Amino acid sequence: MALDLNMPILVVDDYQTMVRIIRNLLKQLGFEEVDDASDGTAALAKLKNRKYGLVISDWNMEPMTGYELLRHVRADEGLRTTPFIMVTAESKTENVIAAKKAGVNNYIVKPFNAATLKSKIEAVCGA
Amino acid sequence: MGYASTQPTGKAEMRCPQSMIAELMEIADYISHMRTEIAALRANEMTRDRIPMAHEELGNVLQATAGATNTIMEAAEAMLALPDDAEYRANVEAQIYTIFEACAFQDITGQRIGKVVEALRNFELRLARFASAVRARDEGGIDPAEAERRERAERLLLNGPQPNGPAVAQDDIDALFA
Repeated sequence: MALDLNMPILVVDDYQTMVRIIRNLLKQLGFEEVDDASDGTAALAKLKNRKYGLVISDWNMEPMTGYELLRHVRADEGLRTTPFIMVTAESKTENVIAAKKAGVNNYIVKPFNAATLKSKIEAVCGA
Repeated sequence: MGYASTQPTGKAEMRCPQSMIAELMEIADYISHMRTEIAALRANEMTRDRIPMAHEELGNVLQATAGATNTIMEAAEAMLALPDDAEYRANVEAQIYTIFEACAFQDITGQRIGKVVEALRNFELRLARFASAVRARDEGGIDPAEAERRERAERLLLNGPQPNGPAVAQDDIDALFA
């Protein structure tokens, strides 16, 4: 299945520089519909208002972390199938295991490169 | 007021004067030693000069790194948007020089961080000397805000970046999701 380059993607990160990096990488990959939110609460509000094809989220944010956002998404009937990739500096085994248990589709440790992001998006959204 | 408070009632009051004098001299010596150690701590200098300096330097570092990152990203974005024309090489070179200039922040921030590290080393030495002199022991609970912060970090697995790079390699994570 080919990647749908028109699908809207939500990038959730409290660091605008990281949002900008991911936006540029996604643009290089051909994705034009990229939206962003600065924490889980803001992301959840956007997810309720628009159907996104993918969520790419950081873990450590306030007030709502990416881990909490993931659990909210998976608990919500209308959102539970939304593909979710965690992009984070949290690299301990317990974090990866907890995210997988909570239903994350893939996990990227910062710092990362364009090739890693591309391969995870392809793995999650089908290439 | 009655006489009861002035009457000898316990062992302490039964001691001989020489013993009491020796004890009082020991206390006086201890107080004098404490005063020396408290003076050596130079708490006023720390709170008036060094801690505000560390705050200011770290604030400047944050500002400089954010500014440099912004400049570098703007240059990179400008290059990505360049038209493929005769001016392409000259335009790319101009943006590359902007990136070189922006990277100069590292020298300045390195020096600022060096000052903060030096101040922290100084605090550490003074506090260690003081703790040893007064045989300080850590007691009591942590304040509520700190307790709440720690509880949140533990509950939400907020471990932060690990000291020597990622604790689990990306390849091992990939294997888990394969």
